[in-house]
Amino acid sequence: MTRTCNPICNDPGSLHGHLRRALGVWILVIAVWQAPVANASGPDEAPPDRPMFSFDGFGTLGLVHSSEDNAEFTGSGLTPTGAGFGHSWSAAVDSLIAAQVTANVTSKLSAVLQVVSEQNFDDTYTPHVEWANVKYQFTPDFDVRVGRTALPVFMLTDTRLISYASPWVRLPVELYDLVPVTSNDGVDASYRTPMGAGTNTVQFTAGGSDTRFPGPDGIGTIHARGLRTFVDTFEDGFATARVTYGRSHVTIAEFDPLFDGFRQFGPQGVAIADRYDVDSRVVNFLGLGASYDPGKWFVMSELGHFSSHSLPGDDTGWYVSGGPRLGRFTLFATYAARKVESNRSDAGLTVTDLPPSLAIAAAELNAVLNTELASIAVQRTISTGVRWDCLKDLDFKLQVDHTRNGAGSPGILEDLQPGFKPGGTVNLINAALDFVF
Amino acid sequence: MFNTANEAGVARQSKGLVRRAAIVGVAVALAFANRSSIADVVAVVSPKSAITTLSKSQIEDIFFGRVAHLPAGLQAVPLDQPEGSLAREEFYTKVAGKSPAQMKAYWSRIIFTGRGQPPREMPNDADLRKRVATDPTVIGYIDASFVNDSVRVVF
Repeated sequence: MTRTCNPICNDPGSLHGHLRRALGVWILVIAVWQAPVANASGPDEAPPDRPMFSFDGFGTLGLVHSSEDNAEFTGSGLTPTGAGFGHSWSAAVDSLIAAQVTANVTSKLSAVLQVVSEQNFDDTYTPHVEWANVKYQFTPDFDVRVGRTALPVFMLTDTRLISYASPWVRLPVELYDLVPVTSNDGVDASYRTPMGAGTNTVQFTAGGSDTRFPGPDGIGTIHARGLRTFVDTFEDGFATARVTYGRSHVTIAEFDPLFDGFRQFGPQGVAIADRYDVDSRVVNFLGLGASYDPGKWFVMSELGHFSSHSLPGDDTGWYVSGGPRLGRFTLFATYAARKVESNRSDAGLTVTDLPPSLAIAAAELNAVLNTELASIAVQRTISTGVRWDCLKDLDFKLQVDHTRNGAGSPGILEDLQPGFKPGGTVNLINAALDFVF
Repeated sequence: MFNTANEAGVARQSKGLVRRAAIVGVAVALAFANRSSIADVVAVVSPKSAITTLSKSQIEDIFFGRVAHLPAGLQAVPLDQPEGSLAREEFYTKVAGKSPAQMKAYWSRIIFTGRGQPPREMPNDADLRKRVATDPTVIGYIDASFVNDSVRVVF
C-alpha cells in the first residue's frame, strides 16, 4: 500500500494520524458501499425524505480588547495569541469557522466528519478534525460511536465551539479552562432511559488523545492515555442536571528536563521530582451542573474539580449565570471563580548545604519550579452582556468581563511581560457575530 | 367638589384620557387575542395511526428528537413546517416556550455533536396535511383551520 497523506492527516507517523486516515477511508467505503442499498430500501431502512448526506456549518467572528497591556488574554492555555500585550484588540481568541458532513447511511448507521479552522497551538489556522466518528444506533435509546468525539468534560464542552448555541461570547474560562483535554479518540456509548417524567442518559467514553500547547520552550504535548469518562444527565422539561467523572494517565514530556535536573540532587531532589512530575500521572476530574430554562429566562451553574496530583495543581472552578429573554434580546450576568487547593510555592532544594557551583544550579531549578507553581490561575470574574438575535441564523453579542486575579497569580493570562503585576484586575470588552449555516 | 373651575376642567380632561387609554388597551388586547386564535396550531396524524392523543411532553419529545417516551409500538416521525413560517413559530412557542432562534440553537447543539438531525420540512399546511393523511408513520402540525377528516388531531 502506498503511503499517501491527505491534508487532514497532518501527522502520518502517529497513531492518531493512522486512526484519522483509517476513519476517513472507512466512512467513504461505507458510504459508497451502502449508497445503492439505502436508495432502494423502504421506510424501515431510512427515515422518510432523509437525504444521504447533509452539510452544515457554524462560525464566529469575535473581537476582544484587554485592559492589561503587559500580558495576553488568549482564552485558554492552548493558543499563543490574544488581546493585551502586542495587540490591544484581537480577533484571534474567539473567531472560527467549522464545516460538517453527516452521512445517514441507514436509519441505524451514520457518520460525522467536522473540520474546524481556528487559532491553533502554533498560531496557524490549519483546519483540524474536531469530530470524525461512525455511530451505530442499536435501539432508539442506545448508541455506540467509534472514532473521534469531543470529550464530555463539563455540560457545554462538546458544544464549546458553537457560540451560536450559548448566550455568552465564550464559556466561563474559570471552569472551561480547568481541563485542557477536550478530545477523545476511542469509543463512546450512550444509553437513555425514562425516569419519572424525565429522561436519564448515561454516557461512557474510553480512549485517549494528544493535545498540543505553546510552551515557553516550544510546542508541548499533553498525552492522555487510558482516558475514561462517565456522565449521567437527567432532563425533565425545562430542568437539566448532570454529573461527570473522568480519569486518565497523563504525560507531559516537556517538563522532564526540569525534573531530571532535580533527580540529580539525591533523595531530596528525587522527592521533589516525584511530587511534581507529569509522567503517566493519574489525573481525575469531577463535574456537577444544573440548568433551568423555561424560555423567558434561564439560569445555570456548574462546578468542576481537577486533581493533577502534580505540577498543574489541584483546582476548583465554578460559575453561576442567568438572565431574561426579551424578544430577540437575551440579557445575562455571570459570576465565575477559580481557586487552587494545592501549594503555589515550594521551598525546593536546600541550597545552603551545597557547594557553590551546585548551589547556583539548584537555585535555578527552584526558581523554575516556583515560577510554574505561581502561574497557576486563581481568579474571579463578573460578566454582563447581551445577545441579540438580529437576523435568521445570526446573532450579535456584546459582553464586558471584570476579572480580579488572586494574590500573586496572573490568572489565566499568558505571555507575561516584565512590567506585569500579578494579583491585579483586568477588564475585557468582547463582541461577537455568530452564525450557523 | 372642585375648588375652581380650572381644577374641574383638568379632572374632566384626565378622565377623558383614562377612558381613551382604556379603549385603546382593550382594542390592543383584542387584536392580540385575535392573532393567537387565528394562528392556533394543532398536531395531526393519519386516521390510520394507532395514536389517538398525546401529551405536551410527548409532543416535545417527538419534535425535539427525544423519542424515549412514546408508548411501545407507536411510531411517529416528526415533520416540520418551513423555517420562518407562523405555524412553526406558534407550535414551538406552544409546546416548549421556545423562539425560532432558541430552536435553532437547540438543533445546532444536536447537529454539531452528531446527536441527530432536525425533522424534515414540508412546504406548507396543505402539503403537510396531504403527507400525514397518507402516511401513518408521521406526525405534523398545521393551522387549526386546515383540519379536515383526512387527519386526526392528537394535541
